[in-house]
Amino acid sequence: MENIGSFIDMIFVTAKAWILALLGQFLPVWIVVLASIVISGVAILCLGPVIMMYLTLLERKVIGRIQNRYGPNRVGIWGLLQPIADGIKMFTKEDIVPANADKLIHLLAPIMTVVPALMIFVVVPFGRQMTAADLNIGFLYFIAVSSITILPIFMASWSSRNKYSLLGGMRTAAQLISYEVPMTLAAVPAIMMSQSLSTNTIVLTQAGSFGLNWFIFTPWGIVGFIVFFLCATAECNRPPFDLPEAESELVAGFHTEYSGMKFALFYMAEYMNAFTLCGIAATLFLGGWQGPFLPSWVWFFGKTLALICIMIWFRGTFPRFRVDHLMAFAWKFLLPLTLVNILLTALWQFTSASAAWLFSIMILAAMLYMLVKLNRVFVPEKRNYVLAD
Amino acid sequence: MIFGAGVFKGMMVTLKNFLTSYYRDRDNGGIFTVQYPEEREKLAENYRNLPFLVYDGAPDQIRCVACGICERECPPKCIHIEMATDAAGKPARKPAVFDIDYSLCMNCGICEEVCPFDSIYMDHTFEITSQAGPRSLIRGKEALARSNDYFRKIRPAMAAAVDQKRKTAEDKKKAAATPPPPQEIK
Amino acid sequence: MAAILVFALGVVTFRNLFHCALCLAAALIGTAGIYIALQAEFLAGVQILLYVGGVITLVVFAIMLTEHLAGKTVRQNNAQSLPAIVGLAGFVTALIALILKTPWPVTEAALKAKTSAMGLGEALMGTYVFPFEVISIVLLAALIGTVVIAKKDAPEERP
Repeated sequence: MENIGSFIDMIFVTAKAWILALLGQFLPVWIVVLASIVISGVAILCLGPVIMMYLTLLERKVIGRIQNRYGPNRVGIWGLLQPIADGIKMFTKEDIVPANADKLIHLLAPIMTVVPALMIFVVVPFGRQMTAADLNIGFLYFIAVSSITILPIFMASWSSRNKYSLLGGMRTAAQLISYEVPMTLAAVPAIMMSQSLSTNTIVLTQAGSFGLNWFIFTPWGIVGFIVFFLCATAECNRPPFDLPEAESELVAGFHTEYSGMKFALFYMAEYMNAFTLCGIAATLFLGGWQGPFLPSWVWFFGKTLALICIMIWFRGTFPRFRVDHLMAFAWKFLLPLTLVNILLTALWQFTSASAAWLFSIMILAAMLYMLVKLNRVFVPEKRNYVLAD
Repeated sequence: MIFGAGVFKGMMVTLKNFLTSYYRDRDNGGIFTVQYPEEREKLAENYRNLPFLVYDGAPDQIRCVACGICERECPPKCIHIEMATDAAGKPARKPAVFDIDYSLCMNCGICEEVCPFDSIYMDHTFEITSQAGPRSLIRGKEALARSNDYFRKIRPAMAAAVDQKRKTAEDKKKAAATPPPPQEIK
Repeated sequence: MAAILVFALGVVTFRNLFHCALCLAAALIGTAGIYIALQAEFLAGVQILLYVGGVITLVVFAIMLTEHLAGKTVRQNNAQSLPAIVGLAGFVTALIALILKTPWPVTEAALKAKTSAMGLGEALMGTYVFPFEVISIVLLAALIGTVVIAKKDAPEERP
């Protein structure tokens, strides 16, 4: 039983090692090294878009059920072939480029949006020893690559030569930079406690007591997780933070002028970003691939899928944030909360268990109360109109 | 919890909707999608769409006598009637040509309201799409004829009322046709 | 490295201002690549995060807020470019000669040293804690100063 369990657990690692051993019998060493990289790369390149396709289907069906209707169910059984139909539609649409547009940048922008989204897959730990590249600056790499995604949005909005695209692009960029800061700071406690930036090490620190010693079961973990998850929702431009690409305002924001395959690339980047951000949230706070009984990659995909379902749940429930509320929420509420969270983690480390819970809850309650009071709703003063008589 | 309570309540509402959509049926708040064309919505009796001609008995015994009232009253003028002539050339009380252009008909039901002979009523058909050109929606006398049983099936209350009216009219006519019993002369 | 030089040249020669900013971003990413080649991954990550994610965003914001949408193209060089290039070539030659002549402390220990994030953290909190705090205070002062400068004045008295 143990053997079968660990066999299924390591099935992907074993398969890759088997292929490499096969190649190593009649090819020189450097080709085997290259093949190792290529196999991981190909796995990610196949996994990414397929995940994105079925994420779109999952989202449409879950939102349909929330809204008392079926999702797509005509194309295959349960609509399973719907993403393929969508893909065919996107491929065959005419590619319209505005006449005044800056052609090179208009072409480069969607490509540069997808590349960082795919690059993040490299540090996500899919299972035991299944990180494509276990960098020792894994988390920093993730944050740095996420911050590159802002630039192609500017490129897209600017090169469309469209006032609305420009406005949408600037709002998106402002939103993305604002939410990057609390996101990084919210993850700092997890890094502090695991004393390493490598994602695999962060997961390994959450082992113990049947692999259920996740960071989320601590007070700073709960706060950190909620803040990180909200910032992750904002980073992929998902509702309720999707003002920049809202369909009913600003036409479609920075990707108004894109059609066909280029729009498909933006769409793909958004969903892949959503998947990787949920994956990283699961890694940091929910214990990655840790868990009893089931194989590690089943745990990982289960947790990530649960987080994605929560994101879809958010989409079905909440109206959009107004843009000034959006920014105020990030800077005036989430940022102080994350700073207090870091202090809380240090407190947790240096006090005994029961006292730590008590202190943490008191400090958190005080902090939340203060923040709520300080973020009073802004009521503009009454204007007195002097009427001409 | 005072601060985030509204958010939480909202999410619980959507969760409840999500979960109950799997087992509640249509009238209890479940999913009310009708999977057309495998299923169809049940139409109300007074739903009116495109007229038809009623016959009792054989399909060429339509009740219509080609009086032309519906042709004159029709707002978009989609009805075209020509009275038949019998062997001697005198007008027979039947239409030779009765064309309704379905693409012009606006389903107002005025022809049904003005017909004095209970012969034209509004049908329930809406699946009449045709790709055969703009004149393919003109329906002739044969295409418009439907039996009284069909009429009773789609509009039971109306058909029952019409049958009742026609029966009482016929009984009165029969009663008028037979001579009254001779009165005692006192 | 050649790519960095090409992009840097692009920064000063392109006519469209937005293209210049993009070339700057590419040049900075190239610099991060050099850091990775020199085995300083932490620095490379931080370089991309701060420069490309922060500074270039700021530069592009500034361009977007001030530039006309149709993108008037600006000629970046004037009649003095040739003397400037000659002067620059002379300066670069002098710099290279200086670099080659300086006795850099290339010792065994220095070649084998590899800073990790942990080492940097320990240094910041241990040996260099005083400069760290001073930098934080300077940043705080800068932030407060920005807010004060950018704040609108109080509305004037109504007539």
